[in-house]
Amino acid sequence: MQLTSSFKLVFLKQMLRGFLLSDASSNSMSFHERKNAIKLSADAAIAFARGRTRWSQGLITNLSKNEKNKEILKSLLGREYDNLRKPCGNSLKIPRSKKILRRCLRMCSRRKKAGRAQHICKSILAKALAKKRIQVLKKLVPGGESMDGFSLLDETLDYAMSLKAQVDVMRRLLKTSKASLNIK
Amino acid sequence: MEPPRSSGVGIDNSGEYSPEIAETLRFEEEIQSLIHPSSFDGSAAPTGGGSFTALLGLPANQAVELLHDSGAREPLASRIRVGEHPVHRPFHLPLDCSSAFPSNATLVDRAARFSVFAAEGSPASSSGRLKAEPQDSDSPPLDPIPTGPAKRKDTGRSKCDVRLSLSFKSQAKVTAKKSKNAEENTDGDKLPYVHVRARRGQATDNHSLAERARREKINARMKLLQELVPGCSKITGTALVLDEIINHVQTLQRQVEFLSMRLAAVNPRIDFSSLDSYLSAECGPVTVRNGPGGVVVDPSLWPTDATAEATRRLLVPQFWHIDLVPPQLQPQQSLTTWERDGAAHSQLLPNPTTSLFLYDPANSGDTNVPHRTAKLKTAEDRALNL
Repeated sequence: MQLTSSFKLVFLKQMLRGFLLSDASSNSMSFHERKNAIKLSADAAIAFARGRTRWSQGLITNLSKNEKNKEILKSLLGREYDNLRKPCGNSLKIPRSKKILRRCLRMCSRRKKAGRAQHICKSILAKALAKKRIQVLKKLVPGGESMDGFSLLDETLDYAMSLKAQVDVMRRLLKTSKASLNIK
Repeated sequence: MEPPRSSGVGIDNSGEYSPEIAETLRFEEEIQSLIHPSSFDGSAAPTGGGSFTALLGLPANQAVELLHDSGAREPLASRIRVGEHPVHRPFHLPLDCSSAFPSNATLVDRAARFSVFAAEGSPASSSGRLKAEPQDSDSPPLDPIPTGPAKRKDTGRSKCDVRLSLSFKSQAKVTAKKSKNAEENTDGDKLPYVHVRARRGQATDNHSLAERARREKINARMKLLQELVPGCSKITGTALVLDEIINHVQTLQRQVEFLSMRLAAVNPRIDFSSLDSYLSAECGPVTVRNGPGGVVVDPSLWPTDATAEATRRLLVPQFWHIDLVPPQLQPQQSLTTWERDGAAHSQLLPNPTTSLFLYDPANSGDTNVPHRTAKLKTAEDRALNL
């Protein structure tokens, strides 16, 4: 749905601009620096191409934590930089209703008092497993810590599709550049 | 992200019967109006308006009986009587509340079956997906089939799910993500709130109801993710699906890293400065090419080729500076003709790309180019024959 050619073109254009800006093609940088510069441009470009989503904002925020990258990002993204950079306030604490929390605690204590071992097994075990994995997913998806369950799944979906597009475009770029080198 | 619930959603229906009576009355009348056209149809397939009784496939009076089952048992009789007087009903409403209604299993089976029907018939696959979900949630309540009051609760739950699937059809365009929320809101058109029954052993307070709605939401999204991640649709269970998703995302991220590393290795020899002029107007080259020919080629025709062309365009300057060996003149000729003509058929457009890929077999003997589409292959054959 969103993996249109225009999306990929926008991404490619931004990425190549990023390469230029970060001077990725010069020989002055080491291999690692070049790789990081390329990755930076690629990530910034995909976030830019996607527009305003939670993960793209989180991504830009994470990238701009490094001071060096900030300048590059600013010039690359231009206006969008301020838009993309944590307008949500990045609150790590999800606002939770006290009433519900209190009731939840009460139910938990009630359950403990009842102490039925069999009932604990199925549902609570499944919940614990799922919770563990959700935590892992939160670390994977940029900006994931401040999201609750639903939006996390939404953002994961979005993020996975954008990653696919990113991989696709980068692979083509690589292929064509390699092919051109083979001509030489 | 949660939309505001309508005030009537059954979270706070603790003992207020007067609005409930009024609403069930209204609903009854709606049911009557729905029943009449549907009874003429005689078809069990759900209509676009979502006839409730047609959905169940039950005779009208049994369906209405189910509805009346939703409230408390005591005011039920009074409600029916109240409801019957203002409007003359052609068919006989069951006044006998304690009459045996069909057993759980058959009723739930029916609901499930018709939800499957609706899944097949519904235009949006998303609602079809979600249709299976009330079906799935039907099966757990089937397992403990206790007697007595819990029986009512089960039918109540199946009814709740049937009602959910009812609003699915009437909201076929709603996307899967929002459908669960929208369906709770649009239920307010027919019902002010969802009659959700608590399962046996669960508290009926707002918290668990909210939790259950939450769980259903999450399940809906998990289904979407399952479709995205390859090979995930056969897996059942939240934890395993999450595993796969995590795996997939990690793989993609690692691929990006790897590709950027390879690009870094290749990179310094490529001159990116010239590409700015090409990519500054990304739609520009497309129109230039099509201008003289008057052929408007929609970029969406070749979605995979557009990016290939963009990348190729940046390498074009390098082509011209290169001394090509005669065996490779052939592809170069095709290039030049393409450039000169300016008007290319949509089939010739990928030609330079294929000639680009032809270099690989010519030089390195690498014949496996992963992104050769069928169209590219035919264009490639044409290039060879030129």
